[in-house]
Amino acid sequence: MEKRGTIYTHSVVHSGTEAFQNVTPYVLAVVEANRTKRMARVEGHTDMTDITIGMEVTFLKNDENGDPVYTFAKLSS
Amino acid sequence: MRSVSVVGIGETKIGRFPDKSLRSLILEAGSKAIDDTGIGREDIGALFMSNFNAQSFSGQGHLGPLTSEVLGLGNIPTIRIEGACASGSLAFRQALSAVASGMYDVVLVGGVEKMSHQSTEAITAGLAGASDMDLEAGLGATFPSIFAMIANRYFHEFGNVREEMAMCAVQNHENALLNPDAQMQKRITVEQVKNGLPIAHPFTIYDCSLVSDGAAFVVLAATDVAKAVSRKRLVEVVGCGQAGDTLTLSSKKSMTTFSATVQAAQQAYAMAGITPSQIDLAEVHDCFTITQIINSEDLGFFAKGAGALAVAEGKTAANGQIPINVSGGLKAKGHPIGATGLSQIYEIVTQLRGDGDARQLKKADIGLTHNIGGTAATCVVSIFRGR
Repeated sequence: MEKRGTIYTHSVVHSGTEAFQNVTPYVLAVVEANRTKRMARVEGHTDMTDITIGMEVTFLKNDENGDPVYTFAKLSS
Repeated sequence: MRSVSVVGIGETKIGRFPDKSLRSLILEAGSKAIDDTGIGREDIGALFMSNFNAQSFSGQGHLGPLTSEVLGLGNIPTIRIEGACASGSLAFRQALSAVASGMYDVVLVGGVEKMSHQSTEAITAGLAGASDMDLEAGLGATFPSIFAMIANRYFHEFGNVREEMAMCAVQNHENALLNPDAQMQKRITVEQVKNGLPIAHPFTIYDCSLVSDGAAFVVLAATDVAKAVSRKRLVEVVGCGQAGDTLTLSSKKSMTTFSATVQAAQQAYAMAGITPSQIDLAEVHDCFTITQIINSEDLGFFAKGAGALAVAEGKTAANGQIPINVSGGLKAKGHPIGATGLSQIYEIVTQLRGDGDARQLKKADIGLTHNIGGTAATCVVSIFRGR
């Protein structure tokens, strides 16, 4: 699987649903990878104001629900 | 297909009424609509009832018989219809087709929602059910965040329209000042919108439609029947289109053109035999400020990418080229989900009849309603002409 993707669009969520209260604010994005788009959370942000479309992100893990989580951090592998 | 006209309208004030029951909202709006017609309730052949989520917000299902009992409609057939925020206009379209086909001469369409008694978290979670629970809500997506992602993509493709989005909210609040049924009668400024409580970047609380309770009803009749009984200007339904799209945001061909809106509008214009420039006024679904801008383009009022400038230039104002949401829209009149589509029709019929009082437009002969559900996954566009 392709580990890298790009941000197609994004938002910083300040008012989340109950299940996500403890991680608010968080970054949600539509990530384009392997020529498909999928919604995902993106972690590892230090400054939430400088996220831009086209920014590269790296697949980090699937969360407990099996949903993809990406990170802005450069992972050494 | 037979010609169909609106012979009665009724709605509650839209607002936060935690102490009012579903029954009382239905009774008020439904009785007003029936009393408006000059037709007895014994002549109503069927009820099409719209509701999004009373099952979750109040534990109440089976809205058809509930409404029929409250309004004393006896043994007529009833059905409850759900299509997220487009539920009301979906019910309207089903009712329209039932009369147009000749199955019934007179039908009642209603919509109701009661949600303000719930916590913000419970409401957000209840609304999220109109997105994909696994692929979107499950990873923390809310409707504000989904449309915020649409806004950011729009900025990327057409330029930053943050200022114009704020103007949209300001304009709808301005319009609502003249509408006694509006929930939010409060003047706001562009600066207030931009500096409001952040919800999902770039949205603040002022970019979002309201949490509302309310009900709205419409009585439809075959135009021949309507002519015989109507005491007011006859308002004929001359066009109606419906289209759908994928449920999830990421699967859409474009996030900045709503193809369900484009196609529903094309159907409605073709059926009515008119072009967008002939519309005198429109109620356009503005669940968020960016939504109104995108939809005003997809309805053909402005070129793609030009909807924001049109707001800034006053083209959508009550005295502009195409007045949009003179009622105050979802933003300021309010958004009682299951009732919203019918509340939009209430405004258009009121204007076409010349009953708009302080907010009455000088020219109101052809009006359009546009209502979407979820991430523009369901859309109904209807066109009305005063005769």
